[in-house]
Amino acid sequence: MSDIYISMSRDARDFLPLHANWFHILLSLVGADQHGYGIMQEVLERTNGSVRLWPATLYGSLKRLISDGLIEESDERPVAELDDARRRYYRLTRLGRTVLDLECARLQEMVRMMQRKRKQEAY
Amino acid sequence: MNPRVSVCLALYRRLASAYPHEFRMLYGEDLDRLGEDAIPEVWRRYGLPGLLRLLADIAIQLPATYLTEIRQDIVYAMRTLAKSPGFAAVAVLSLAIGIGMCSVVLSECQSIDGPPPGVRDPAALASFYWHDASYPYFERYRDQRQVVGNATAFLGLVPFAVAFTGEKSAHAERLYGHLVSPEYFTTLGVTPAAGRFFSPETEKPGMPAVVVISDRFWRRHLGADPLAVGRTLRLNGAPATIVGIGPKDFQGIWPANPAELFVPLTCAGSLAPELSGDPLHAPDREMFGVVFRLAAGVKLPAAEAALDAVTRNLDRENGIERDRDRKGRVVRLVPAGTMMRMSPEQRSFIDTFDVVLWALVLSLVCANLAGLLLARGSQRRREIAIRLSVGASRPRLVRQLLTESVLLSFAGGLAGIGFAYWMGHAISSVPMPSATPFEYNFQPSLRVLATTLAIALAAGIGFGLAPALSSVRTEIGVTLKQGGQAPLRGYRRFGLRNLFVVGQMAASVMLLLVTWFIVAGFLLNTHLDPGFETANLNLISVDPVRDGYSVEATASLLIGLPDELSRVSGVRAVSLADSVPFASMTAFQPKIRVSAPSSGPKGGQALHSVGRERIGAGYFATLGVPLLGGREFDRRDLQPQEAPGTKSAPATPAILNQTAARELFGGEVPLGRRIREGELNYTVVGLTHDVRSGPTSTTTDPTIFLPLTTSVFRSNPAQRATILARGSAGQDTLAAMRAQLTSLHPNLTIFNVHTLQEGLNRINSFVQWDAAIYVILGLFALLLASIGLGGVTAYAVVRRRKEIGIRMALGAGSLQVQGLVMREGTVLVAAGSVLGLGGGFILWRALRAWSDVLSRTFPKHADSSLLLLGAPLLLADLAMLACYLPARRATEIDPMSALREE
Repeated sequence: MSDIYISMSRDARDFLPLHANWFHILLSLVGADQHGYGIMQEVLERTNGSVRLWPATLYGSLKRLISDGLIEESDERPVAELDDARRRYYRLTRLGRTVLDLECARLQEMVRMMQRKRKQEAY
Repeated sequence: MNPRVSVCLALYRRLASAYPHEFRMLYGEDLDRLGEDAIPEVWRRYGLPGLLRLLADIAIQLPATYLTEIRQDIVYAMRTLAKSPGFAAVAVLSLAIGIGMCSVVLSECQSIDGPPPGVRDPAALASFYWHDASYPYFERYRDQRQVVGNATAFLGLVPFAVAFTGEKSAHAERLYGHLVSPEYFTTLGVTPAAGRFFSPETEKPGMPAVVVISDRFWRRHLGADPLAVGRTLRLNGAPATIVGIGPKDFQGIWPANPAELFVPLTCAGSLAPELSGDPLHAPDREMFGVVFRLAAGVKLPAAEAALDAVTRNLDRENGIERDRDRKGRVVRLVPAGTMMRMSPEQRSFIDTFDVVLWALVLSLVCANLAGLLLARGSQRRREIAIRLSVGASRPRLVRQLLTESVLLSFAGGLAGIGFAYWMGHAISSVPMPSATPFEYNFQPSLRVLATTLAIALAAGIGFGLAPALSSVRTEIGVTLKQGGQAPLRGYRRFGLRNLFVVGQMAASVMLLLVTWFIVAGFLLNTHLDPGFETANLNLISVDPVRDGYSVEATASLLIGLPDELSRVSGVRAVSLADSVPFASMTAFQPKIRVSAPSSGPKGGQALHSVGRERIGAGYFATLGVPLLGGREFDRRDLQPQEAPGTKSAPATPAILNQTAARELFGGEVPLGRRIREGELNYTVVGLTHDVRSGPTSTTTDPTIFLPLTTSVFRSNPAQRATILARGSAGQDTLAAMRAQLTSLHPNLTIFNVHTLQEGLNRINSFVQWDAAIYVILGLFALLLASIGLGGVTAYAVVRRRKEIGIRMALGAGSLQVQGLVMREGTVLVAAGSVLGLGGGFILWRALRAWSDVLSRTFPKHADSSLLLLGAPLLLADLAMLACYLPARRATEIDPMSALREE
């Protein structure tokens, strides 16, 4: 049913600036597929506990990210010893990677602007 | 496990289970598991605040998820409706017109029943019903503190010649206002926008003249001058200082007759000729309207009983005899806090009639909407079956179908509001043909708009729910196999759709009958022969005393005017009158009580209430109404040597119409007979035909015509007159008369200048405009019923496509196929027509019984079988035509392609 509502393909720039929760979720999926609990834990550790994705927020965001085509459910499973059959894994789509790259570039540009401003103030 | 953790977990699971079905299908298990994993960890790390934060997160996300789904439903519904523009257009248009009409009907109720703007607690206001009081009586009423918190006396619709500067030479404009007692504004609970209002302490006889102006006057005539308070105006030639400005939109009590100025009753008679002769101390001069603000906790019946007792005591003291009503009372108290002065019976009739119209239109629109949605739901059964089979929940599908119907009704409601505004503005801008100001505002108020939108939404939900539930109650397997070709429910089984169609037909028939009755009544009345020749009859009104003429000068002027104007080229006959038939929609004839020698065995003097008109010499000749006997008034009658009522004065000549003669003297010849009005004696010198006084009079009232004498002007300086002049065909007599008056009397203001035919045309236009609204309603009923029937038949053809193909393959002819399809429609039309006829007959009888209240408006009841049968027959014919078109298309089905379809 919800597939009916999957967005038509959109330009990656349409997603900028990226919502903070979405940024953290996409970042968590760089390099490896991940399940919901794993995403939550990874974000918590990466931000030293300052960003906590609560369960309802997390799955609400996952649903939106899937419907917007930034992530998708992954068929790949980890090795049997590490796998929990009940869990569902997610991975970045090409669009999701592009959006994340653009968002990182945007944030870096903002940091550069801030540094230039600080230098001017110092003079 | 810690009890707090257990409670949190239980609450978490409960909230998670409340998520929408689709969400739970995809993420429910993950959400539950994540919660179970996270809760102990959150408790360890953050304690109770953490648990609360976790619960708050899911509690906030839950409605947000539903809102997201609703947004998706709305987007999907809009896309689906966009793919069916015809269906959407028909649904929205029919809703828009129907809801717009309902709003206009509600606005009409409000324009009559609504509270006057600016008045505090209008429900506590009461007044006498069509009964004026004298000022001394009013003062006694005001003192009844146990029932009356406050009271005011006033004279409404008083004309003033208003000059907007204090100079004597300034040009004056004729405006209307109220003469009010000092308690007027406190009784109504109105506060000034600027300056002050009147009070008993500041408004006393002999004080300089003051005036309060309305906000509209201030904006229109003084340019919203911030220094308006303190400015001097000239009212009827005398200076008056503005002391206050009324609040926005306040136009006095009963703003249907708006007042621009308010002048205290304590001002001099020169400012207001109505106040000459010291009426404030005359117990027999019953000329003031009285409005009461009832004391706290006092109800209308108790106040009426108390004031009735006071009135009877006063009558005994002053030797006044008065008729009593059925309850034995001499006065009747009615609510006064409304836009228009009307009796409770009239108000009740109009309110009930409006509610009936409103209910019929609304049920018609809702039945149409429900029928359209049902048909549409049936067409989408295959789509719904597929969606159910891939996992959609029935509640979600119902919600989505309901979203479509709510969207339609919301769009229809919004369009209906626009339509209502347009119609309300159009109706409000049609001027009521009236010699005095009359305004009504049909613009829908915020309350009407909110009610309209609420009804639209309720209709969308209520009448969309049944079709939605019906659509999802499908057997998936059967529907998928049969490709949506489910067995047809014919008329033999009373399906929901057929029920709506029958209901729609019945409502349409009833609406058509009601509107035809109204339109027939309107049109029959306005095109009746007035009873005299209307061509080339010119009317000009004058009110010399307000132009500064003295009483004697006024009398002399008016007596001489007919002679002056008879010398104008083209003028064949001239006369004067205090009112002219058909001059306005709202003509009002004053009544007097007269007695004539009774022909009964006791020979007593029976009292009769008759209308009184004052006319000049040659009035009937000018009007073109021949006398049945006797003579007209002549110049001698207009200038009596003695004032009437004195001992040596001869009896004043009088002319009676046929109805008055019959009522006073039975079948006897009235010429030469005597009539008394108190101390005044009249002798009947002439008898005339009955002539209707106006378009709203259904029967001719008994009328006595008295001469417009110089004594009348002396005793009533407020008396104004209308000049009637019969001109010659092909000549602009009116312009010539205007030029003559301007050259002979440059200071005389003339107004209401028009030909009687122009006046009649304005009245007819107004009535036709009014009738047009009902015609639109009737056409709307016809159109909707046709659409409904046509839609049902078209659907039946689609559903029975295979069956029709088989029949045609087996040799059925076109006529047989058409007959097969139309048979179902015919039964529905017949059932709806019979129900509608029965309901319409009951409504018609109720209106007839009630129409005695408006018997002066509709003299000829539309009690013809032509009307009763014609309306349903017309509707049935149109409905059958709507069925015929799709039935004809059914004959074009190719049997081979129909049989191949699976």
